[in-house]
Amino acid sequence: MKTGRKLLMYIFFGCCVFVALFPIVWVILSSFKSNAEILSNGISLPSSFDFKGYRDALTISPILKYFFNSVLIAGASTALNVFFLAMAAYVFARCEFRGKNLIYFILSLAMVIPMTALLHPVYNVIQTLGLYDTKMGLIIVYMALNLPMSLLIMRGTFLSVPQALEEAAYVDGASFVRTFFQIMLPCAKGGLTSSAVLAFLGSWNEFTFALMLTSGQAARTLPLSLSYFTAQFSFNYTAMFAAVTIAVIPSILVFAIFQEQVVSSLTAGSVKG
Amino acid sequence: MKKKKGWIPVFLLPTVVLFLLIYAIPLGMVFVTSLFNYRLSSPEMTFIGLDNYIRLFNDSDFYMALKNTVIWILIQCTVHVALGTLLALLLYKKPRGWKFIRTAYMVPNIISNAAIGMIFLNIFNPQFGVINSLLKAVGLEHMTRNWLMDVNTAFPSVTLVWVLFAGYTTTLVLAQALSLDEAVLEAAKVDGASGFQTDVFVVLPLLKKIIGTTMVMAATYMLQMFDLIYITSGGGPGKATTNLPLLLYGVYKGENNYGYANTIGVIIVLLGILCMTIINKAMKVNSDDY
Amino acid sequence: MKKKWISLLLTGLMAVSLLAGCGKSGDKSSTDGDTSSDDVVVINYPTFQCGVNTAAPVVAQLVEEFNEEYKGQYKIVLEEVPGDANYVDKIKVQLGTGDLPPVVYGGGYNLLDLALANDLVVDLTEVVNADSEWKGLYSDAALEANSRDGKIYASSVEGSVIGYFYNKDLFAEAGIEEPAKSWDEFFEQCDKLKAAGITPLAMDTADSAWVTQLWWGAMVATANEDGLKFMETMNPDDYNTPEMIASVEKIQKMLQEYTTTDAVGGKYENAANNFLSGQVAMIANGPWMIGDFSDTDKTSEGFADKVGSAIYPDSFVYDAPIQGYFVTKQSDPKVEEAAIAMVKFFTSEHAQELGLESQGMVPAASSVEVSKAATEKYPLLAEFLDQTAEATVRSDNMQATMYSNLLDVVSQELPRLHSGELDAEAFCQVLTDAAAKNE
Repeated sequence: MKTGRKLLMYIFFGCCVFVALFPIVWVILSSFKSNAEILSNGISLPSSFDFKGYRDALTISPILKYFFNSVLIAGASTALNVFFLAMAAYVFARCEFRGKNLIYFILSLAMVIPMTALLHPVYNVIQTLGLYDTKMGLIIVYMALNLPMSLLIMRGTFLSVPQALEEAAYVDGASFVRTFFQIMLPCAKGGLTSSAVLAFLGSWNEFTFALMLTSGQAARTLPLSLSYFTAQFSFNYTAMFAAVTIAVIPSILVFAIFQEQVVSSLTAGSVKG
Repeated sequence: MKKKKGWIPVFLLPTVVLFLLIYAIPLGMVFVTSLFNYRLSSPEMTFIGLDNYIRLFNDSDFYMALKNTVIWILIQCTVHVALGTLLALLLYKKPRGWKFIRTAYMVPNIISNAAIGMIFLNIFNPQFGVINSLLKAVGLEHMTRNWLMDVNTAFPSVTLVWVLFAGYTTTLVLAQALSLDEAVLEAAKVDGASGFQTDVFVVLPLLKKIIGTTMVMAATYMLQMFDLIYITSGGGPGKATTNLPLLLYGVYKGENNYGYANTIGVIIVLLGILCMTIINKAMKVNSDDY
Repeated sequence: MKKKWISLLLTGLMAVSLLAGCGKSGDKSSTDGDTSSDDVVVINYPTFQCGVNTAAPVVAQLVEEFNEEYKGQYKIVLEEVPGDANYVDKIKVQLGTGDLPPVVYGGGYNLLDLALANDLVVDLTEVVNADSEWKGLYSDAALEANSRDGKIYASSVEGSVIGYFYNKDLFAEAGIEEPAKSWDEFFEQCDKLKAAGITPLAMDTADSAWVTQLWWGAMVATANEDGLKFMETMNPDDYNTPEMIASVEKIQKMLQEYTTTDAVGGKYENAANNFLSGQVAMIANGPWMIGDFSDTDKTSEGFADKVGSAIYPDSFVYDAPIQGYFVTKQSDPKVEEAAIAMVKFFTSEHAQELGLESQGMVPAASSVEVSKAATEKYPLLAEFLDQTAEATVRSDNMQATMYSNLLDVVSQELPRLHSGELDAEAFCQVLTDAAAKNE
């Protein structure tokens, strides 16, 4: 009975891993196929392994420059987002003040606003602020795009931290700010990391605002490089999938390493909600 | 506790400013312009009251898109979230290879949607796609079809493009489960509950809040779903896979009718508020009695 | 109490330094058309003709030559906006806020009318008329495509001359000697090919069904006078006409019987690949495809020798200048002057010759002759341009004149036409209804 259940479990795991890794394997294989191979047989192996696609990707688009921009923009917007939103989330989780529920509800509405509809007015706002075609413009927008998600996750995390911890800190004479930074933030690591991961991935892959809010190469991000490979009547899928690979492999690695740290911090016993 | 009060506005300020800049002000512009005849082809805006809304409620395409959006939200909040949660619950017991599985399951969420869309176009391709090739290989030739373009299979096929990739749900639920107080779990074990029972009766209720959160995320993801549909089925055949964002996009880009597009935007926002209220009520995400 | 302020200060400092650090790098970017300190007028020119776009090398070279010729006076700064749709999106957003780049390429997207509706276009009539060399490059058709109410607003560099290509080997296999002269003969040939086990046509439905609508428009244009009139109308709104319905019926038949299974839902890339891999006998497309016939990454060695070109049955060919470059109103008159100089340069005889010789682009001006170099490099193009001389019926293509909201509708409804869920009449009705949404 028990082994049967275990077998079932591993079959389920197998399916999940297959489903999850199929796309990335497909992308990597495609980066070695010719255009004709990609368009004629989706699952065949490439006839030869050469790096022409990668060479093309690097010559057709300024992908390295974009990569660097992406790291900076996604990194900064994630750090700022988590930092500011943790402060707000903490206040919503732990403080009482007039209009709290109303303000929280209004802020969480951000989650359901379709960004397609806001494109035009957001462009106006960024233009007015003089941030068009700057990294700062994108950083602000990405901070905002991830606002509702981070608020939701971190407020939940702060709520699940036992009140006793905080009260003990106050009894010891710690200030509000110190309690927040020294007691609450470490306790909420899980939530902070989850928010950071989501915010980073969201910013890393965002396309539409990156396109509309930038013009020069100074602030362009990686997703924009993909359009270099498909014009209306010409295409280079090999190079496109090479570019996708270049964009995705480092972020998977960072993610894998990053996630490892989360878990160790969680299991090391520093947090026991 | 007096000290606390003074800090509250300081802690809230950055978030509120951000919200006003990128959400509130633009949203106000969207709402106001939904009351106007506002088109790219004419520089003059004229106030037309609720005419855009009247047109919307007489538009059969709108009802189709609304229906599709709602069904997708329901599927995502149930199937998708359940899948992610199930995996998290299994991984939570740290079976061999759990770290690898956890990381691997997140990978599709890191790949850009443009690439995911392309992959599924290949999987469903009627001529050389994976599914039809498999069917032919096992002698089920009569079942092969043009999955994304057949009226009967387009909707479920498009759903498959995202419903299985529940990496976000797994990550969030697992992180929360791992931070649960072991004392509570030990107590449950002492009471004689088996592993499986612990999962269902002890752990799951403790995760209600985070599951509620992932449901809200799933719902809003579907409310805004655009690129994967656009790349795979393009909203067709007919309007079989058109949802509200796709409808909005068509009006915005094809008709250049910004006033009417913003009307659809307002409806999406209202639908989102409705979803959030329902999920919060059902999962008590908002209640503080944790 | 002190601690509180220190921690707040630190927090603030951290945030500010982060913001400042990131903001700086972008600060240098100038707004469109700023005059820099040394009095060189800068034209920021966003273009989609970059990356894999066939015109990319031509535009790059023109920019270089322009900057050399006007050194110290004007300078074009190229701003790459890869992807046609991305470019159109961007220009539309800028239209809404009124700050367009000094020079916009209308292309096949009819951006000119949108910009005109917002009163943002500079009237070029006087400058063009005062310059006999420039004026001489305007053919009657080019004048029409680039003028509104008798005023010239734009200047074309490229023409869109489109017939179809066929695979000579596959034709021979089916016993077909030459491309069809009439539509009846065309469908007989399709039957012959099919009988020989060859798929006759490459077609598509995604991305507004480019290849499919070429066949479709050719049938409409040659049906009768009303059909040709329809093809010449900008933004037609009535698809419920007998010749339209008859053509749609044939398109339905073509989708059902004469094409690959992946045509429905397929993109241009799929259709192109089906032809390039020798699986189908014919594809409707323009001369820009000729380069692909010898690209071994997309097809096999020697494929180019198997390809023949043809004009459509009933002596029809698509022949229309592509809407050209226009200058937008700027606060600084110097920038407008510079922009006009750029448009002139980019549509000059030299520019058109360059496009032809380097990428096989068909010149907009009929006075630009196909040079020997171009003939040697693109023999098929020269052959095709000779054939077009025999065409008696010409028009623009359907996609260029269609209301833009119909493009997606066509993609969504063709699969239903194929499955039989819609018949030709119902299909035309859907298009008519959608066209009515534009008022």
